[in-house]
Amino acid sequence: MNGVDEELIKKIPGLPIVMTTAEWAINAGRSNSIWTLTFGLRCCAMEMMATGAPKYDWARFGLEVPSASPRRADMMIVAGTVTKKMEPVIIRLYEQMAEPKYVIAMGACAISGGPFIYDSYSVIKGADKIIPVDIYIPGCPPRPEALLDGIIKLQKKIMKQKFRTVKEHK
Amino acid sequence: MIFTEILDKLKAKHEVLESKEDLGVLNAWVSAKKIKEVIGFLKNDMQFGQLSFVTAVDLMAANNIEMVYRLFSYETKSDVVIKVKLDRAKPEIETITSIFSTADWHERETSEMFGVKFLNHPDPNRLLLPDGIDMPLRKDFKCADMTPLPKV
Repeated sequence: MNGVDEELIKKIPGLPIVMTTAEWAINAGRSNSIWTLTFGLRCCAMEMMATGAPKYDWARFGLEVPSASPRRADMMIVAGTVTKKMEPVIIRLYEQMAEPKYVIAMGACAISGGPFIYDSYSVIKGADKIIPVDIYIPGCPPRPEALLDGIIKLQKKIMKQKFRTVKEHK
Repeated sequence: MIFTEILDKLKAKHEVLESKEDLGVLNAWVSAKKIKEVIGFLKNDMQFGQLSFVTAVDLMAANNIEMVYRLFSYETKSDVVIKVKLDRAKPEIETITSIFSTADWHERETSEMFGVKFLNHPDPNRLLLPDGIDMPLRKDFKCADMTPLPKV
């Protein structure tokens, strides 16, 4: 089993017992049922919808429900340009999400401001200026495969986190 | 209607300061005081039933803000552009909301983007911009977190 020594399993023969650490079990539970906050800001949202649709189908990776309420969501995909007018909304939605919560910055705009980095009066240069970001997915917009790759990387990141020291955003 | 026909009809009733043809569309400059009469005349007497947009252009070199009104007629399938030159230091013009209600939001946007003051506007508040950003479409706009495009 994952997270358990092979030798430990050999010492308990015969019984149908699955042994693992609580840490692994909780992390596996978390990483395989990530509910996403449906939160499209611009054209990246189209690729995000395509990723959720049957052809790419992120339900295969456990992202079963695109949650309409931030209180039920585990992950926020910032899909698009973060503008100054949208900033308080994003912060409020992020703060309403329950711990532990994760953020994926999808596309060039959410990473750095993208094409709006110069001479722009309205664009915040990256979602990480206002909320903590776990995974960055480059592209303009990223293809659904890239988003799925980012989601799998986030799952790996969740699997590595320590149960007693799960990050808490203040 | 071709543009000379519109120009002749317009000139017969109102003073046209300047005019030119641009891509087959008549551009006519009128004075700021006459804007309500001119737009009203175009709507009521010349069948220009649709106001396509209201916006402005910042002509910094000439120290002018130029208002742009574009109208379209479904009856004659023709366009006309009415322009008004305003003083850049104190741009003020009468609202045309009483003639075209759709001008309401267009004028509010022009007001926040270029700092044009619309007199007698029914709802002179901001439309889209958050507080703290004023007149961003003026050529000399500066803000603290704006990165200028590098010259290469």
